[in-house]
Amino acid sequence: MISDRLKRVILTELQLDEFSLEDSTIADTVPGWDSLSHTRIITAVEAEYGIHFKTVEVIRLKNVGDLQALVDRKLA
Amino acid sequence: MYFNSLAFGVFLAVVWLVYQFTPDRHRWLALALASLGFYASLKAPLLLFALGLVAILSYALGHCIARQENDALKLRLLWVGIAVNIGVLCLVKYLQPIAGVLCPSLVPAGRQVNLFVTIGVSYFTLQAICYLADIYLGRVEPERHLGRFALYLGFFPKLLQGPIERAGDLLPQLQAPYRCSYENMRSGALLFAWGLFKKTAVANRLALYVNTVYGDVHSYGGVSLLMATYMYAIQIYADFSGYTDMALGVARFFNIRLTQNFNSPYLATSVADFWRRWHISFSRWILDYIFRPLQVLWRGGGNYGTAAALLVTFLFSGLWHGVAWGFVIWGLLHGTYLAGSVFYKPWASRIAQRLGFQNHPVRRVVQTVVTFHLVCMAWIFFRAGSVADGWYVLTHLLGGVGGYLAAAFENLRHLTQHKELVDPILLGKTLPRFLLLLASLAVFGTASLLRDCIRIQARSAWVRWPAYYLLASATAFLGVYNDVGFVYFQF
Repeated sequence: MISDRLKRVILTELQLDEFSLEDSTIADTVPGWDSLSHTRIITAVEAEYGIHFKTVEVIRLKNVGDLQALVDRKLA
Repeated sequence: MYFNSLAFGVFLAVVWLVYQFTPDRHRWLALALASLGFYASLKAPLLLFALGLVAILSYALGHCIARQENDALKLRLLWVGIAVNIGVLCLVKYLQPIAGVLCPSLVPAGRQVNLFVTIGVSYFTLQAICYLADIYLGRVEPERHLGRFALYLGFFPKLLQGPIERAGDLLPQLQAPYRCSYENMRSGALLFAWGLFKKTAVANRLALYVNTVYGDVHSYGGVSLLMATYMYAIQIYADFSGYTDMALGVARFFNIRLTQNFNSPYLATSVADFWRRWHISFSRWILDYIFRPLQVLWRGGGNYGTAAALLVTFLFSGLWHGVAWGFVIWGLLHGTYLAGSVFYKPWASRIAQRLGFQNHPVRRVVQTVVTFHLVCMAWIFFRAGSVADGWYVLTHLLGGVGGYLAAAFENLRHLTQHKELVDPILLGKTLPRFLLLLASLAVFGTASLLRDCIRIQARSAWVRWPAYYLLASATAFLGVYNDVGFVYFQF
């Protein structure tokens, strides 16, 4: 389940008003989510939650659900 | 044993026959022995040793990485695996210069026993690294069967020039039961024949011209240099994609689908798009295992971090092709193109959108032409014998071209009577030979355009068989058969 806060950060970076982000959503299916915007999204998520991801943690992400799970682990 | 040799034809027939009568549980062994024999035919014992060493060490490290629970130790094991593979690659590739410095008297004898042949090492070491990285990232499980893993690295159709296969794509296919498929045999044979045509009738024929000019650039003017550069762009594409098609075709005889390595690269609308269409297995490798980690690591730098990651990635690309300034400049040129586009592309897209021609076909044509010329500019340094030669070509490309075009246009009807207009194009060869080249290019261009439209395999036998005979005739009649290997053997 993707939190509204994470959805807002992602959609703001991609300049999208609405898009359905589910656990299984992958970057390729989201308009504007390419390798450039990917790092902007990661940086924005880190800034929003005041957390820091390791490089390998980011590379291991397969979908938005993995990103949510990673955020939850960092906050716990 | 090159793909375009009679010996390979006999080898393939024997291997395929043996494969048909081998029980499923031993089929890996049949292919592994065939691959060993194929590699041994190069008579370069060091290569077999390198393949064996990489296979055993990567197999063992893959299991160690998978079993290790501690993340820091897991990463350290991965770095050991990367270091081992890069070490083997560097040792094999640079053995001759090292020997030249440490023991010069060894070098002539070493050449006699093919001690310095390096074909294939660049590919299977990268493949081993991506196998270990994928285990570390949790994308694949380590292969339990050492023989099958060694076959994954050394499968003979892809051994010498790739494609660089991901474990998740190839290993399951090597484990699958085999049933002879007429469809795969048919499509494999057609792919092989098409690749053979590209190599012998297009690449080898263009090489006759390109080698003449690039072998002595100072003797040629702008028109010839321009012609030779365009020809090289087509030559290297036909050579490498020809090899890839033959490799993919041969693999299909064994029901194995290797990765597509090319997708009409010169129709790319940007350099980034070019790299999604050229040597795809290699560009995916450098994107996934060099660019992405660096881009994430340097994300604090924003676009500058991404640009730096691109420059480093393509510097690696240049160095992988060879430790020579020409390859470094080629790599850095592509890195610079891509790094520049990080800053330039968003602005260009916004302007095009505001002016309303974002999707205009003329814009697409202009982008394709510009991209092709940027790529050709980089090819100059890739092909030239030295940086000085490359610089000479680049700075003299347009010398006299304007005057030549004006004179050619004026004398269009009697062009062949003007030696001064014909010689710069013929590049020292005869007119009939040049016409053969044009014929090869015409067949190549037409068949490439029609290939997707016609979908020959779906047609009736009345359409298919004349097409097959036409292709075979074109290959036999237009092909240049010499001992020259494939361009990408040297990397």
